[in-house]
Amino acid sequence: MTMPLVTAETVKRVIHELYDYEIADQDAAMTANTAGAIITGSRHLLSLELEAIEPPFGYAALTAEAARLAPKKKR
Amino acid sequence: MAHSHDELLSFDVGALAGKLREHEISPVELTEAYLDRIARTDEKIRAYITVTADLARKAARKAETEIATGKWRGPFHGVPIALKDLCYTRGIRTTGGSKILADFKPGHDATVWARLARAGAILLGKLNQHEFAYGITSSNPHWGICRNPYALERIPGGSSGGSAAAIVARSAAATIGTDTGGSIRIPAALCGCVGLKPTWSRVSRHGVIPLAPTLDHVGPITRTVRDAALMLNVIAGFDRNDSTSSRERATNYAANLDGGIGGMRIGVIAELNNDLSDDVRRAFDGAVAALRGLGASVEEVSIPSLPMAGIVNAIITWAEALEYHEQWMRSRPQDYGADVRRLLETGMMTPAADYVRAQRARPRILADALAALEGHDVLIAPGSGVPAPKIGAADNLAATGQGVDYVSAILRFTSPFDVTGQPALALPTGLSGDGLPLAMQIIGRPFDEARVLQAGAAYERARGPLPAPAPL
Repeated sequence: MTMPLVTAETVKRVIHELYDYEIADQDAAMTANTAGAIITGSRHLLSLELEAIEPPFGYAALTAEAARLAPKKKR
Repeated sequence: MAHSHDELLSFDVGALAGKLREHEISPVELTEAYLDRIARTDEKIRAYITVTADLARKAARKAETEIATGKWRGPFHGVPIALKDLCYTRGIRTTGGSKILADFKPGHDATVWARLARAGAILLGKLNQHEFAYGITSSNPHWGICRNPYALERIPGGSSGGSAAAIVARSAAATIGTDTGGSIRIPAALCGCVGLKPTWSRVSRHGVIPLAPTLDHVGPITRTVRDAALMLNVIAGFDRNDSTSSRERATNYAANLDGGIGGMRIGVIAELNNDLSDDVRRAFDGAVAALRGLGASVEEVSIPSLPMAGIVNAIITWAEALEYHEQWMRSRPQDYGADVRRLLETGMMTPAADYVRAQRARPRILADALAALEGHDVLIAPGSGVPAPKIGAADNLAATGQGVDYVSAILRFTSPFDVTGQPALALPTGLSGDGLPLAMQIIGRPFDEARVLQAGAAYERARGPLPAPAPL
């Protein structure tokens, strides 16, 4: 599996266009290198046979949080 | 009976509880001893960001009056403790170790502090940490470099570095830390004290600044296993303010600490029983021998998917941390330390698909861990692959690409159990040839903290206390 190419230029553009600041070339290169390794690592997770596995978000968590947030009616 | 400050500081919470209840020790004199200790040592250690001396004295006087009139609230009544500065304290500065929140005073308490306060604990102050809990050195660019009491030129670990350093420097009787990739257990391991990451959802996260909510845990850092159990007794349990907190009944975690481990079946995690420094190897093998000597059977077990846990932890943390910090990354990126900002920038490159895939991998890894626990009571692993690195070692690697990757050598032992959410206890196994603390972890089934603590207490009794660090 080849490592996806995340370039320093991509990192700089994302930060510039989405976050409106600039970073140095060296910092961008380091971030690009780490990001490339992450995306490669994520592809390796497929070896865990995830097809039949639900992500552990769950409806119970959704309803519990909604219940906490719901305004209480005054009687 | 009058006690010297050194004598007062020598008692763990378990010992203090009886002495305070029986009026052998006054909460006021105890608090003064700790405040004096902080004044004498914290210039060197930098364990504290904020010391709440006046509030502590006021709380101590109140505790003294209550105990004198027979209103004893339990083992933490009159005991001086401190909180990682990630925990909200009403009206008291809560920085998260950051410049961004340098002036933030919450309007309410974190549940963990509210429960400790209700139990009569006295707040000495707020503890130094890695900025926003996003790192393991606690070399904080805004509030000072936190140092390891065993070797001032070395890191205490992190992110709860101040919480562990304060325990070992005896500038708090017990502390609270948080753990997303190892931030309770790493500093406990590197500083030579006890750190318990409870099961995810066992302790409320309400009012604790998040790093990655689906991985964040809150727990005790203490001198002894018994103290960790006593603290868990106070902070565990459902909290209506945290919808993810568990309704699983909390038990008395200190009840079986004297139960021993004769007949207990312990699994050594094969995937974490390699690439250890010589000192760590020697200490870990010694711990295994000690456990066998106490009557436990110990054999190697495998968690095949465990090597994937590090990348799962990283992807989830990158994505969830960025979501919390995004507003400040737009408006105040220059106010972050360089290392934390770089991690948040890495999060910007993390595809959403990878985040969901990482979440889907978690049940697989937990299933493998539970399979390894079949036929075993607990699992064990080293607390870290190396003793405490020198301050700046991780930065040097990042800048030059030269040297040992200490971050990976440490995190790979702890981050899997944030991914699985299992309870994991770090406790000392001895000192390296250089006099640095070494540690192991005891890992249990979800919500089986009692057995983890029971095993830890038995080992701790057999090993005895670590030699104290040189006077500060």
